Amino acid sequence: MIGLLEIRRRKLQFALIALIVTLISYLVLMINGLGVGLNEQAGSALKSFDANAIAYSDRAGLSVIRSELSAELVQRIGTESGSTASAPLGYVAANYEKADGSIKSAAFLGFDPGTIAEPKVVEGRTLTSEDGDAVLADRSFLRYADLKVGDTVTVSVRLSERQFRIVGAIDEGSFFFQPSVYLLRSSWQELKYGESGADQPAASVVLLKGPRLAGKSGQGWEAVSKTTAFANIEGVSGQQSTVQALQVFGYLIGGLVIGVFFYVLTLQKTGQIGVLKAVGASSFFVFRQVLIQVLGISTIGVAIAVPLAWLTNNALQRVPNPVPIAFTANTFLTTSLLLVLMAAVGAAFSGRQVAKVDPIIALGQQQ
Amino acid sequence: MTVKLEVRDLSKTYGEGERAVHAVKHVSFKTDPGQFVAVVGPSGSGKTTLLAMIGGLLTPTTGSIVVNGRDIAGLSRGEQAAYRRETIGYVFQANNLLPFLTARENLLVMAQITGANRKAARERAGQLLDELGLQERANAVSTELSGGERQRVAIARALMNDPGLVLVDEPTASLDSARGRQVVESLIREVKTRGKLGLMVTHDMAMAALADRILSMHDGLMTEIAKSETVPA
Repeated sequence: MIGLLEIRRRKLQFALIALIVTLISYLVLMINGLGVGLNEQAGSALKSFDANAIAYSDRAGLSVIRSELSAELVQRIGTESGSTASAPLGYVAANYEKADGSIKSAAFLGFDPGTIAEPKVVEGRTLTSEDGDAVLADRSFLRYADLKVGDTVTVSVRLSERQFRIVGAIDEGSFFFQPSVYLLRSSWQELKYGESGADQPAASVVLLKGPRLAGKSGQGWEAVSKTTAFANIEGVSGQQSTVQALQVFGYLIGGLVIGVFFYVLTLQKTGQIGVLKAVGASSFFVFRQVLIQVLGISTIGVAIAVPLAWLTNNALQRVPNPVPIAFTANTFLTTSLLLVLMAAVGAAFSGRQVAKVDPIIALGQQQ
Repeated sequence: MTVKLEVRDLSKTYGEGERAVHAVKHVSFKTDPGQFVAVVGPSGSGKTTLLAMIGGLLTPTTGSIVVNGRDIAGLSRGEQAAYRRETIGYVFQANNLLPFLTARENLLVMAQITGANRKAARERAGQLLDELGLQERANAVSTELSGGERQRVAIARALMNDPGLVLVDEPTASLDSARGRQVVESLIREVKTRGKLGLMVTHDMAMAALADRILSMHDGLMTEIAKSETVPA
């Protein structure tokens, strides 16, 4: 096809356009990676809960910070919801001391061993009901705090400090924008309320497993799906709409820039297009050549950008203060396809120009 | 394939009212199959407008152009493109080859446009390049070719799809007279040996004299010049 031949003969020109496509694709990929990363940071632990729905106090407005459930209510939610399994979970943000002495905050989640709230341990061991002074720390926490399994972490509790030994590592990600640390529910009560006991709230939320639980409610409680719960994490919806706006602009600008580049090329070739049409080529034939070029060049550009983004992500994960960027095969695939699609849409500018060229310009035309 | 061409009372007017320009006025002529016809005239005489109408690039204001019994004056743009593709071979003033393609590829483009068989197209391109003495230059990019070579490639391109009617627009405009004459001679030879109808627009009487027949345009009107009136070149 002459469109492809032209690319071969004008390597420099098309390589420059491919470079622009690469840079734009790289940018859009990184933004998308940031979107995924921020989402993970917001609540990948919530997403990996072994539950179908989450029950809150009906006065909490679906806020895990404000939700407090009594032991009696935890019981009642388990039976009233008709779930097949349920487990109370407590949440509190607390400060801890990093290995270098600086103070940082983490999400401390209190659970009962043996329930569906128990995280999957990937290193070390899980907690038993005797482990009041032990925790399971997420890998992101260990990396960030520069600690390892077996170390002791100092957590600031109200006006005093408390030592916890890290007995196991988990891979649940973060909760509420902070790395997650799991501990016994009684220890959580002590962290949050100063003491454990029946007169203190027993949990922040209840994890529920079973069919058709989302939307259920009862006296003092309401249950929503994990998706709804995630969207109601403070800051998530604003963060998501910001990232989405960036993505939309990225795709639009990508399509526009590629479209304009090829439009300029098409304008420069008006004379040649006139000749092609004069010798009988249809506008469609000429446009097909342009479209093949746009698809070819944008595919090359995207194909270079994907490994670049992947390498950048790997490099960024190694720095001490990791940028919240995460890629999935899905991110790469959909982003790449959308970028190429946008490029094809951008080619429509050229299509209009091709259709407008009057083949009569081939006559009397001096080169 | 040969073509019978009959032009009847053909006119082209640009603009309207007092500003109207009558580029071609009531032109009629008939050709015999296998003829090579030259249309001469100064610039602005309407000869290129006439060529454009016969070649399906311009729609006449009035009159008809009957090609093999079919009036092509009222074709839509899409039909005009198909007509150009199937019936017309064009040689343009400045050859207008695609600059990034080789001589051979410029011919093969024609087969792509019609969707012709690739193998047959390669054979035909090779044969045409041989006939026009371009076998050595077949794989040279067209910007590396000399003006005369380019114009010969343009002739080969015009013949690529085996058109019945070859239309030629000032083929020697960018060539010196010796090369111009060689090009026109090989053009006439190629067109006539294939029994095609050739129509060449030129302002150069010496080139026109090489044709079978000379039509003269002046202010949009056509007259025939008897061959004996021309000075043998």
